[in-house]
Amino acid sequence: MSRAIPSGPGQAANAQARLKAPAIDKMEAKLSKASRALNASPIQEISHLAQRCGAINLAEGFPDFPAPPQVKHAAVAAIAADLNQYRHVQGICDLLAVKMKQNHVLDFDPLTDFVICCGQSEAFAATILATIDQGDEVLIFDPAYETYESCIILAGGIPLELRISQVYVPLDPPYWTLNVDKFMRSFTGRTKAVVLNRSLNEEKIGCIKETNYNSYSPHNPTGKVFSKEELEVIAAACCQMDCLAITDEVYEYITFDTHKHLSIASLPMMKERTIITSSLSKTFSVTGWRIGWACAPTAIASAIRNIHIKITDSAPAPFQEAALAALQSPPEYFSSLKADYVARRDFLIKMLSEVGFQVHNKPQGSVFIFAELPKTCLLCDVSELSPATFPFIDFVKELIEKAGVAAVPGRGFFHGDCNDLTQQSRYVRFAFCKSNDTLSAADQKMRSCVGK
Amino acid sequence: MLVWWRRRQTGPRVGPGRVAPARWHACAVSDSPAYLTPPPSPNHEMLSSFCFCRSATRRLSYPSAARMAAVSTASEAKEPQQPSPVLHIGHMNVENDAVFTTPSILFTRATVITPTGSKTLYAVWALLRPYGTAWPMLKSYSTVAKRLDKFKTTIFTQMSMLAVKHGAINLGQGFPNFDGPDFVKEAAIQAIRDGKNQYARGCGVPDLNSAIVDRFHKDTGLHIDPEKEVTVTSGCTEAIAATMLGLINPGDEVILFAPFYDSYEATLSMADAKIKVITLRPPDFAVSVDELKSAVSKNTRAILINTPHNPTGKMFTRAELEQIASLCIENDVLVFADEVYDKLAFEAEHISIASLPGMYERTVTMNSLGKTFSLTGWKIGWAIAPPHLTWGLRQAHSFLTFSTSTPMQWAASVALRAPDTYYEELKRDYLAKKAILVEGLKAAGFIVYPSSGTYFVMVDHTPFGCENDIDFCEYLIKEVGVVAIPTSVFYLNPEEGKNLVRFTFCKDEETLRAAVERMKERLHKS
Repeated sequence: MSRAIPSGPGQAANAQARLKAPAIDKMEAKLSKASRALNASPIQEISHLAQRCGAINLAEGFPDFPAPPQVKHAAVAAIAADLNQYRHVQGICDLLAVKMKQNHVLDFDPLTDFVICCGQSEAFAATILATIDQGDEVLIFDPAYETYESCIILAGGIPLELRISQVYVPLDPPYWTLNVDKFMRSFTGRTKAVVLNRSLNEEKIGCIKETNYNSYSPHNPTGKVFSKEELEVIAAACCQMDCLAITDEVYEYITFDTHKHLSIASLPMMKERTIITSSLSKTFSVTGWRIGWACAPTAIASAIRNIHIKITDSAPAPFQEAALAALQSPPEYFSSLKADYVARRDFLIKMLSEVGFQVHNKPQGSVFIFAELPKTCLLCDVSELSPATFPFIDFVKELIEKAGVAAVPGRGFFHGDCNDLTQQSRYVRFAFCKSNDTLSAADQKMRSCVGK
Repeated sequence: MLVWWRRRQTGPRVGPGRVAPARWHACAVSDSPAYLTPPPSPNHEMLSSFCFCRSATRRLSYPSAARMAAVSTASEAKEPQQPSPVLHIGHMNVENDAVFTTPSILFTRATVITPTGSKTLYAVWALLRPYGTAWPMLKSYSTVAKRLDKFKTTIFTQMSMLAVKHGAINLGQGFPNFDGPDFVKEAAIQAIRDGKNQYARGCGVPDLNSAIVDRFHKDTGLHIDPEKEVTVTSGCTEAIAATMLGLINPGDEVILFAPFYDSYEATLSMADAKIKVITLRPPDFAVSVDELKSAVSKNTRAILINTPHNPTGKMFTRAELEQIASLCIENDVLVFADEVYDKLAFEAEHISIASLPGMYERTVTMNSLGKTFSLTGWKIGWAIAPPHLTWGLRQAHSFLTFSTSTPMQWAASVALRAPDTYYEELKRDYLAKKAILVEGLKAAGFIVYPSSGTYFVMVDHTPFGCENDIDFCEYLIKEVGVVAIPTSVFYLNPEEGKNLVRFTFCKDEETLRAAVERMKERLHKS
């Protein structure tokens, strides 16, 4: 199939794809312009290669250890108890409202302010479709999870040439700090929303402070979290420019060290303009169940609900019942979840550093490590870089084929020339949401292939 | 539509032995008022001029035409900033268990005079962002909601609410009150226990994709590629949404047959398409060839067909499909075929338009597990299309939901390999149910239109003297205790559906018999 090969995810490549969009045959011309500009996910491509080579998969961000037994039992019981038709389980909203109050001191009405969706993916898609119209701009921090852009393009109603533009606000390596200037300059009269990604890098405003900053929701891929000061800057900007904030908090319980997840909605004047999306997936290791939610002020939640009903109508019924059990887990569950992930993170960092990767910053949240290639690695030949090639997939391919370990090229998470391309192409992302056996096996394989 | 809320002392029952906390309780539905007048002064309270009366059986009746005057709370109301037909912004008492917690809302209060006293009801119009003055907020609220004009609360939810309120037997909503087969449920349970709980491949678990391919081959004789031509989605609803968003550009012309399932119009408006409608008319809801010919042109991007058809129960005949096919080939038009009820084909053979010559390359065929296996809440659906079309809908799918529930997919692959005996038994059961309902509806006095497929039956309610279908359905709920769905919501022009209502027979036989008895007893021809 002619479109099977993904063009490079850099902005240059995207722009080229959008402008050319060759109609290979008449039928292909029937695709909507939006879909033609969206590229196949590089992560899934790599996973297929990894599977074919029998490599250890540290690319995709889902666990290979089992989900908590009580949650699985609840699902099994629900199926057996005939809870299998379309339903909306109000109890989930009640429990979420309690959690919001406990964790963030926020009051939400369980009857009106929550929408249960098929995963955070659908919650985000429905939020975007409910709030973004043609011509609206959305700020996204770069590096970012690949889905945000595509969702926004989809809602832009196409064509892509103009209409919806998502504006990337680059975060500065190596600490992925928020440059307040760049951020404020990205706002225009058409900015409708700011997306606060899964986890972000902190930049201390002004100087570098290492001490206890309250963290924001962990970021995929860099594992950094926004500090309270950064969140306050973003919040102030949102209030001043009258924008919405859309947050993706799937890793809210996977934060490390002294960092506690802080939701921007708990800052003053933010609750009424923030939409929080999250899910069961990462917290309960059930990424395949597709239970997520959006939490927003009533009018917006109602709009999201209406869209959700037309996209999927309902989240899987038995898993909604299981969500009740999951959300009632005791505090010990969450603390041991954290402790386990900290141990895995530390193990992987040790392994990578000893093998020669440069891990500039320990992730304070999420399940990924964004590491720079070893200085000695010559596979990154940037001078031959062109939009159609994908040099870092070469490194990753080598890693899969020779070392038997799969990771994700970091370049796919950056957009455009806002960051130095050379810089961009030196990063690789590893996931540590894997069992101890898997990580040990990966450790062995990597060490034996040092200096390839 | 306005929903009216009343504050109750204790909450409603929400399950065996469980009562929800005391809350605002939806208790009535009315039309939106034709006009509103501002109160003469902020401190003046006016009674609503609703005709709201309480029947002897303590059930509220529904006003057929609501005319309301604005009321304001006594002392807290502020003067409107600009002249406007809309009400005051007021403050609700923010009590611990009140529904509304934001301070600024727009509401109407009505006082209802009943034989036993008076009740105070509130209807909320809009929730405003609580800063600044309200009027600019109203404007921006409507900007956000522009795409959402088509996305109001569905009729199904409203009718279900009424059904619960009145203890009516629900023959409205199209999902079974019996459960799916054990062998499928056990497969799902096994998958969960086996740890199949992580992300599935975006386009579907390979096992399921092959099972779909095998089933499709059995049904149509076509050989398709499970990797490139099958995409698993969260229900057929998502298949439709992904198809529209992935394959339709803004301004594209799409033809629908009315009456149509409500999500078609909504997702087409999301994709910003231009909708052209061809109406199917009773008694046989046949496709008018002339109308079809004049509707299809070189500007048409796609035609959406649903066969067997919800709500009429019609099945597109071979002749009709061939007509559509030839026009599509001639004008280079795509076809989106929603075939969720294909296994509930009773009076005729189901034909997939993709199997007609020259059609596969331009058709997206959509289906799901839910209706065939009575597991509507599992949300397993799929779209079958040639690679170039699959690519487009997969893009949209990957950003709508990313992937579909993993354990259910494994169970679905077991379900789709069910032997033919399963499908034969399914048909037999449904035919028995259909007989009970159809015979009952005829005996009760409806004009019953023949339904060849699906588990729906369309009837004409005019013998009972109601002006339109919504009135009739409300009357049916209150006075007879049975729910049907008014079909005017399935038409672009509601007038075309006002004589028709839809009943479903996807309920166990006891329920159907009870409903039929109620209708025979209490429905009176006028």
